[in-house]
Amino acid sequence: MDMYTVFQIVWWILLGVLLSGLAVMVGMDMGVGTILRYVGRSDLERRVALNIIGPHWEGNQVWFVLGGGAVFAAFPLIYATAFSGFYVVMLLLLWSMILRPLGFEYRSKLPSARWRGMWDWALFISGLVPMVVFGAAFGNLFEGVPFQFSWNLTSTYTGSFLALLNPFAILCGLLSASLSVFMGSVTVMNGAEGVIYERGRKLARFSAVLAAVLFAVGGFWVKGMQGYVLTSSPGAGVPQTPLQQVVTLIDGAWFGNLHTHAWLWLLPALGFAGMLFGLLAANARRSHLAWWSGAMAWVGVIATAGAALFPFMLPSSSEPAQSLTVWNSSSSELTLTWMFGFAVVFVPLIVWYTSWAFYVMRGKVKAEHVAADEHSY
Amino acid sequence: MHDITVVDLSRWQFAITVLYHFLFVPLTLGLSFMLAAMETVYVTTGKQIYREIAQFWGKLFLINFALGVATGLTMEFEFGTNWSFYSSFVGDIFGAPLAIEGLMAFFLEATFVGMMVFGWDRLKRGQHLAVTYMVALGSNLSALWILIANSFMQNPQGATFNPATMRMELTSFTQLIFSHDAQAKFVHTSIAGYVTGAIFVAGISAWYMLKGRHIELARRSFRMAVLFGVLSTAGVITLGDALGFVGGQAQPSKLAAMEGLWKSEAAPMPFNLVAFPSQKEQVNHDQLQIPYALSLLVTHSMDGTVPGFDKLEQQAVGRIKNGIPAVEALQTLASKPGDAAALAQFRAHEKDLGYGFLVQRYAEDVSKATDAEIGTAARDIIPEVAPIFWSFRAMVAMGLAMLAFFVLAVIFSLRNDIVRQRWFLKIAVWMIPVPFLACEAGWLVAELGRQPWTVYGVLPTWMSASTHSVGYMIFSLVGFVGLYTVFIIAEMYLMLRAIRKGPDEPHGDDPDRDSDPMLNNSAKAGPFAGYAEG
Amino acid sequence: MKTLLLFVLFMLIAILVILLAIVLGDSGAWYFAWLVGTGMIVLITAAGGAMLDAQDEHAALETEAGTNAKRA
Repeated sequence: MDMYTVFQIVWWILLGVLLSGLAVMVGMDMGVGTILRYVGRSDLERRVALNIIGPHWEGNQVWFVLGGGAVFAAFPLIYATAFSGFYVVMLLLLWSMILRPLGFEYRSKLPSARWRGMWDWALFISGLVPMVVFGAAFGNLFEGVPFQFSWNLTSTYTGSFLALLNPFAILCGLLSASLSVFMGSVTVMNGAEGVIYERGRKLARFSAVLAAVLFAVGGFWVKGMQGYVLTSSPGAGVPQTPLQQVVTLIDGAWFGNLHTHAWLWLLPALGFAGMLFGLLAANARRSHLAWWSGAMAWVGVIATAGAALFPFMLPSSSEPAQSLTVWNSSSSELTLTWMFGFAVVFVPLIVWYTSWAFYVMRGKVKAEHVAADEHSY
Repeated sequence: MHDITVVDLSRWQFAITVLYHFLFVPLTLGLSFMLAAMETVYVTTGKQIYREIAQFWGKLFLINFALGVATGLTMEFEFGTNWSFYSSFVGDIFGAPLAIEGLMAFFLEATFVGMMVFGWDRLKRGQHLAVTYMVALGSNLSALWILIANSFMQNPQGATFNPATMRMELTSFTQLIFSHDAQAKFVHTSIAGYVTGAIFVAGISAWYMLKGRHIELARRSFRMAVLFGVLSTAGVITLGDALGFVGGQAQPSKLAAMEGLWKSEAAPMPFNLVAFPSQKEQVNHDQLQIPYALSLLVTHSMDGTVPGFDKLEQQAVGRIKNGIPAVEALQTLASKPGDAAALAQFRAHEKDLGYGFLVQRYAEDVSKATDAEIGTAARDIIPEVAPIFWSFRAMVAMGLAMLAFFVLAVIFSLRNDIVRQRWFLKIAVWMIPVPFLACEAGWLVAELGRQPWTVYGVLPTWMSASTHSVGYMIFSLVGFVGLYTVFIIAEMYLMLRAIRKGPDEPHGDDPDRDSDPMLNNSAKAGPFAGYAEG
Repeated sequence: MKTLLLFVLFMLIAILVILLAIVLGDSGAWYFAWLVGTGMIVLITAAGGAMLDAQDEHAALETEAGTNAKRA
């Protein structure tokens, strides 16, 4: 294998790692936002829940920024095509996401109950909507997205906005939202006590079961779908455009990779195992264990989707031959190499200082402390 | 084919969202280092007042930071959502600095900002100081990578077009990051942020002194702010000159617009201090000139000249004609990759590929482009002169005014009689909006002056936008304007409220009270618990 | 031992700074100027704050000396 192919695959895997980081870290904060109004019945209870993630949400949110940046840098054609094609959905995602920083910073700055209630709804929306969109985007990858290219690779999206919110996409969106709620619930368990803890535990158990059911249903659904098969292309590691391929649609083809490489079944197994362990651990009040199980579930789910689609990244339903793959949408070898160098140095550093930040802020968040400290959210 | 209305609406949307974002960024860049300086005094001298100072300005920093982060998300989305052809065409180069920004800078800044806020009681003094420095470093490194990306749009180097992939590709990473444009622009912008931070702190401190409140905090903050400011303003002006020098060579049409140079002139060239440029007639009305000054300013010599638009337009005609065969060759290569004749033709003309794209706006089949169409396309290389000309002058005037302000302020502050100079304190308060306006003006000069290109000389703006419908664009534009208006109202309200309240005058039902344990700690739990339940 | 460690640490920092200066200076010096300039600006600012306190103490001493002199 030449180096270009290696780097293309490495960046495809790294993208998976970054998306998993996004799902775990941002998903947990968004989960807390989604369940805020349920776990916290009084203002003080809600503030406790918010302050559990208070010191970390900004850092965690960077996983989202980095995920976007990595797609842009490593797979620019995917970034350009997907972001413009999903225009209205992307705007909904964006507008709900930019409510979040303000929800955290501004909510508790005024004593007015109406002000705070309004921001609580903003946090709910900015927790739920992005996670549903995140999952729905994955769902659309399996179904293909209606776009095509002109000779100079100007992409045109030909579908409607509503087509992106079809039943299968919504199923995936709910799966993503339920995993995020699970992570949010166990995070609340990690940092809270008493009634808040108990409400978190209840939701954790519920959402773990829901996620497992949705993941299984999704699997059967995909089996009945038409999958894409790359019958001819310039091949891996060759600079190319998406105008030089032949692609066929075959029923159940998304399971092709799993059939040829049986070990790939470990990935969905990892997903289910994470959900099951998560359920048991939450039930046994082992919230930290439940958190790690939830992270494992995310990795399993995202890896399963990636492995099933490979080498496709963004299939086109209107011009299947112009589908985007790892080979025809990646950056040049030089860019991938430099980016890899930066990732190798900085990702471990990030993990290190993030862990330090969590270590410094460890322990339970006490209601009286939240009330007395002006820095708290 | 691109709908020009959609392109224009995309430009409006980008300009509005980025100018809005850029209201918050400079303050973050500057105030973060000022917080670090304040905390440094606290840690080295152990004086409690500096802790109060750092915490008070830290509170204002956060209100501003939240909106900076929120509106920054928009920017990262917008390249993909609204400039998709741009993103795929130069993403190989442009995407990398953005991703590195996340890895190297934004993570640092965002992780440590949480520690900075919540860590006062959990970290040792030295640790907390280090955290504050990390926030400052992280935010400025963010600016570094963003401006490296931006500089590629201004002065594309370290990249070449690859016909096999139909896009620009990186050829030298070091050329990209060490481009002179990137260097000068980063330092100019970062330090402009310092100036913004300094004026902000000085202005609010002056207001406290006028009101006779928090005098000890205000005097110290003012002293530090004006020292910070005077050095930074000197730096901004130096770098502004360097940027003009570097940028003038790389982007002659931007320079011509900044100076209102319709006709090329012989050295030494006069400088148009005041003029009213008319885009239609291509002349300046009512101009007031300073002889020799332009040659000195932009070439640093008496016998240097820069081309006017007459010359530049003429050059563009030639380059468009040379670029047309490159576009034709690409069209062949798109369907027959590896076609040797087409490849040779492309290589012979690739230098002017971007100019070939320029005429494609008027002649979709470039081989049939008429002389009239080529002429119109060549005329397009002249950006909107009047707004660039005036933004530039406004920026420079504000920069010089701030320098004068800071020099005087330093004198008063060092003589230690600033509290008595009430007229000057009033001026200081009114100075607060000035650096923000100057930063916005700087953005306008840089990016309006780049037109009609998104990547100067390589990719025209009209091709870069996504192929949306007008309806979508109106929807998103209305959404952004609505949302952002609500945000700025909330932000200004909270900011003014926090400023009015000040650092250490606790009121009964006040949620923003200083948490310093030295200050009436016992009174705290009561009212807080009260309203938390209510 | 502590002195030696400090010496090594400072030497390392010095070498790092010099290397950085060479690398950055080669390709145009503005990045380096920013690094040095920012450090300088922050330190001068901090010193300015500390100086204000020194001025205040000095002034207080002078006032005190003045009152003492009057008393005498």
